[in-house]
Amino acid sequence: MKKVVSEISGTVFSLPWLIARDHGLFAAEGIDMAFVHARPSGVVQHTENPADVNPVLGHVAFEEARVSIYRA
Amino acid sequence: MVRPDSPHSYPGTLGNKPIAVQFHAGSHYVALRLLEGYLPKEKLKLVHYGSPQQRFEAMWHGAVDACAVMEPWIALGEKLGCKTLCEGHYLGAENASDDMDEATFAAINRAVARAVDMFNADKRRYLHYLIDDPRSAAALARYGGLTPDDFHLPRLRYVQATPYTDEIVADTYHWMVRWGLISSAACPADLVDNRLPAAATASAAD
Repeated sequence: MKKVVSEISGTVFSLPWLIARDHGLFAAEGIDMAFVHARPSGVVQHTENPADVNPVLGHVAFEEARVSIYRA
Repeated sequence: MVRPDSPHSYPGTLGNKPIAVQFHAGSHYVALRLLEGYLPKEKLKLVHYGSPQQRFEAMWHGAVDACAVMEPWIALGEKLGCKTLCEGHYLGAENASDDMDEATFAAINRAVARAVDMFNADKRRYLHYLIDDPRSAAALARYGGLTPDDFHLPRLRYVQATPYTDEIVADTYHWMVRWGLISSAACPADLVDNRLPAAATASAAD
């Protein structure tokens, strides 16, 4: 089995992935799929300037190479 | 989306009114794409509020006039009587790291493709993933909760993965440059590599 770690941000983006995990579809393809959640927003500084916000957002695990795929 | 008692009934009155989005995410981009058809750029007042829950609650409690949200927050808002002033859809993207090999990516896509077919064959059966997500279930419950019958099923559109076309990439790039969301010095071909999706799609069709 090939180990793959995937990040989940909004569940709506990953719904088919959750179905695939729970119905053994990844395993049938030889994939041992694990999920980690994107970093929560936490306390947010409200701003009208997009430049004030890090565009990485919650995809920290991907940026740190702890997961190999995410979707948004 | 606006509160049930909001005076706004279409997007054209939202000029200079705060609208909660998450900058650099889908809610930001789709809000611009939708509202630029109704309002001049200088009247768009998008405010970064973070997660869908934070955006929904900012709208619900009156901190902003409107919010841009996705499911299950659309279903919750509509159940509570909120008004959807405009609605847009956008392409999701699978973002893989450089070291993702083609065979693994193709295998993942085959599994997801089968899951997409399962979902589309019986959508309500799988809505518990949206309702019971531990990150939002408690918040949804505070507002009365959701059942699968509360969702508008045609809104949930999952399709087989296909590569972004060069035309879509170019159109999106030029749109982002126009809104100052990406440097015009950036080259689209340097930012999007479609080789893996192309291989995965070919494998999924076998």
